Amino acid sequence: MSDLQKFQRRERYSHGFRGRTRDSFSIVSNLDEPHHDDNAQLAVTMENTYQMGPYRRMPIPAVTDILKDVLTNYLHEAKYEVEWSQGMTKTICEVIRARVKDLMIPRYKIVVLVHIGQLTGQSMKVSSRCLWDASNDTFASYSYKNSSLFGLATLYAVYLE
Amino acid sequence: MEEYNSGDEAVFNADEVNISVKECIEGVIGGTDYNQNKVNQWTASIVEHSLTHLVKQGRPFKYIVNCAIMQKSGAGLHTANSCYWDTATDGSCTVRWENRTMYCVVSVFAVVL
Repeated sequence: MSDLQKFQRRERYSHGFRGRTRDSFSIVSNLDEPHHDDNAQLAVTMENTYQMGPYRRMPIPAVTDILKDVLTNYLHEAKYEVEWSQGMTKTICEVIRARVKDLMIPRYKIVVLVHIGQLTGQSMKVSSRCLWDASNDTFASYSYKNSSLFGLATLYAVYLE
Repeated sequence: MEEYNSGDEAVFNADEVNISVKECIEGVIGGTDYNQNKVNQWTASIVEHSLTHLVKQGRPFKYIVNCAIMQKSGAGLHTANSCYWDTATDGSCTVRWENRTMYCVVSVFAVVL
């Protein structure tokens, strides 16, 4: 069988497979799997700190200001374009994370989520649920809109005990 | 408390998570078309069911589950995330699902206790 025939055969198979799943398909991307270094295999026993909670909590107003500042500066008067938005989502993510890190709140892990989308009159719903310690962990979010696009930034802060 | 043996259970297993999340999505919106009135309860149930399944695995993690459902109208959407955590033990997983009338993106972040 020639290479071209093999390729075409594979194409037809994948179409058939898609039909079997009732015209919906899903893609999974795990961009962040935990990876072990060899050094981490040695068990590290930490001494007891007797610390019951965080000495400094994550300041939500300051964080919301950071989100608002970054989104407004980067997306002000911007027009939606595919490649530009791809790069901009990642840039905004990194910038927000760096600025929140600069607040120097110890023992907090940070997760930043940014959505940038085009406004064409469609409807969209974003929701999230968290299983965590409600007294120490928290979140902040801000959404920005102009005439051609919208930007939504969400930040979750999780305390490390 | 010092005797607690973490072993394999304290590492985020992305494959198990994405299988259960995909099943949750299919269970809630598989075979339906976009409906403005119901999308509120869809996102809530996808997120709640995913979280319940994750908790049932019994691992020592805190979870954050985020779900976005968008109507298909030819518009573009970009999503990115950036995390500051311990890369040896924490992890994330994103599942993109679509059908004829809508897109659904579910992200799961797991942070070790």
